Amino acid sequence: MPLILVGLNHRTAPVDVREKLSIAETKLADTTRGLCAIEGVDGAAVLSTCNRVEAIVSTRDEDVIAHLVEWLADRAQTVRTELERHLYVLRHGDVVQHLFRVASGLDSMILGEPQIGGQVRKAFTTAHELGTLDPLLTQLFENTMRVAKKVRTDTGIGEHAVSVPFAAVELAKKIFGDLRGLQVLLLGAGDMGELTAEHLHAQEVRQVFVANRSADRATELARRFDGEAVHFDRFDEHLGLCDIVIASTAAPHYLVETHHVRRALDVRRNRNLFLIDLSVPRNINPAVAKIDGAYLYNVDDLQQVADANFERRQSKAADAEDIVLREVETFRKRLVAQDAVPTILELQQRLETIRTSELEKCLRRMGPMTAEQRETVEIFSTQLVNKILHYPILQLKEASDEPQERESLRRTIRKIFGLR
Amino acid sequence: MNVNPNVALYLALAAYALGTLAALVSLFVREKRLQYAGLLAMIAGFVAHTIYIGSICVRTGHPPITNLPEALSFVAWLVFAFELVLWIRYRVYAASFFVYPLVLLLLTVSAVVGERLAALDPELRSNVFLAHLLFTTVGVAGLLIGLSFGLLALLQDRALKNKKRGRLWEWIPSLDVCKNVSYRALAIGFSIYTLGLLAGVIWSYRTDAGFMELRVKQIGAVTAWMLFGVLLQSYVSNTYRRKRTLFISAGAFVAIVVAMLGIRG
Repeated sequence: MPLILVGLNHRTAPVDVREKLSIAETKLADTTRGLCAIEGVDGAAVLSTCNRVEAIVSTRDEDVIAHLVEWLADRAQTVRTELERHLYVLRHGDVVQHLFRVASGLDSMILGEPQIGGQVRKAFTTAHELGTLDPLLTQLFENTMRVAKKVRTDTGIGEHAVSVPFAAVELAKKIFGDLRGLQVLLLGAGDMGELTAEHLHAQEVRQVFVANRSADRATELARRFDGEAVHFDRFDEHLGLCDIVIASTAAPHYLVETHHVRRALDVRRNRNLFLIDLSVPRNINPAVAKIDGAYLYNVDDLQQVADANFERRQSKAADAEDIVLREVETFRKRLVAQDAVPTILELQQRLETIRTSELEKCLRRMGPMTAEQRETVEIFSTQLVNKILHYPILQLKEASDEPQERESLRRTIRKIFGLR
Repeated sequence: MNVNPNVALYLALAAYALGTLAALVSLFVREKRLQYAGLLAMIAGFVAHTIYIGSICVRTGHPPITNLPEALSFVAWLVFAFELVLWIRYRVYAASFFVYPLVLLLLTVSAVVGERLAALDPELRSNVFLAHLLFTTVGVAGLLIGLSFGLLALLQDRALKNKKRGRLWEWIPSLDVCKNVSYRALAIGFSIYTLGLLAGVIWSYRTDAGFMELRVKQIGAVTAWMLFGVLLQSYVSNTYRRKRTLFISAGAFVAIVVAMLGIRG
């Protein structure tokens, strides 16, 4: 398995190093083409995310590692020794295991995060379209995407939200199901509130109303969410229209009181109302939680949800690692077997030639025979050859994934059996 | 259809038992594939159950709802049919924890009671009587589905209010789905059940039995009808989240069971 991976990620390199190597999506094709042009590289792909940059190549030449490091140092516009401190170099089976883990989200900053699957697919499609993938890398990427899907389906590792804004979206789905067609009121323009509104907007909610003390800021945010800015002092008039309320202001007191919510629920004919209070000090009176049909979550509640989900992801990581290990072994065996096919075929042909020629001589010497006797001798010779070939073929199929060891075994067998 | 009804019945029972077991175990091991296996077993049971019901229809020449085992079996069949439709529409895994055991229980009681296949008394061969049987059984199936989803809505509401996720959290669909399905199933079930009761009253009035007798099944049926009415009203007035809903649901279930067991009387 002549695979080499050189790269860095959030664990090995600080952000100021990562940003030097980061590759914009529009530049990915050029970068992949540049990597493939390095001497000794048979096939190449580049995986780039905000937390990692990895050059994956297939090659028969181990010296290519030095060229890869040089190439990365050039790209980062830094000296090689400086960059080397942050790089990891993986070979052969380790590359397979690493890619399987990365695509499954097991090596991500946020365990199990789903975006990485799409980024691995992007690396594959870019290289595939450029024609920089050889059959080995094509197989590797196809298997990587299959394993990532299997890990996610079998373990559910990426199923639950592990950040506060996503936890809010997950809870909203638990209350309303489909979020399309819902209306959201964003009260204030705190960062977390804005991010939560952004996630809800991505779920195609029908309308986002924004109420902020600064009318300009409200208008700006409303434009971003294709929504509507409303007067801050009259936000309660919109409560009855909205299904989800996000409070994220710097006000030092409660803005949403129980009477606001009761009135809103009356207007809504008791349809449920989800209130998310991301402010500290809180902006929604906690007594609201006691009202039937109103579900109030503050920032601590959401953090607890996110933490609990993260613990669940961690508990599923062990199962995911088991799947990865099993799949790596299956992939390795398949590749080694594929690699050994030409030698095995030659070996079989060689012994078949010897068998038929010796059989002819033997039959001539033995004189006239019945068809039955002739068949018995032929079967004997075939079985003898098969028995002789059994262990060499087995050794070739189950050889180590180290290309040099495998090559050494192949040479020995070829020498013993007189293959060219 | 030349099928021995008992073979189909026992096959259905075995498959339902397997399906229920798989669903209940999946609740503890949190394994979705086991849920699927349970669903497949239940579908296999449903097919055998359909053959069983079909073979009874062929043998007796009337819908299989004229005595207690037939009615129980038919209600079980309808309940699972509704559950299957809802699963396809909403992927409601959690309902299986209530619906599968209910279906298994109903069919087990039906098999244990084991009355002989009833040839319909000529006196009972009237459209009004058949309408009474058909509407009440379909209505009961709808009401039982409504009760199951109502229970899920209550559990989901409690989990969201208390911010504590129980074992069922990830299996239960959104609160709105549970509430809407429960409300619709109760509303439709209640309407059909009401028609069934009215048909029963009319039929009873036409025969020598008189307008109504205070027999167990009639008291049970009317009590169930009233309790389901109250339950439905709690959805309309949005007071379904209150604790009394649990008691009313339990009472309505008991009343339905009493009314059905009373079919023998």
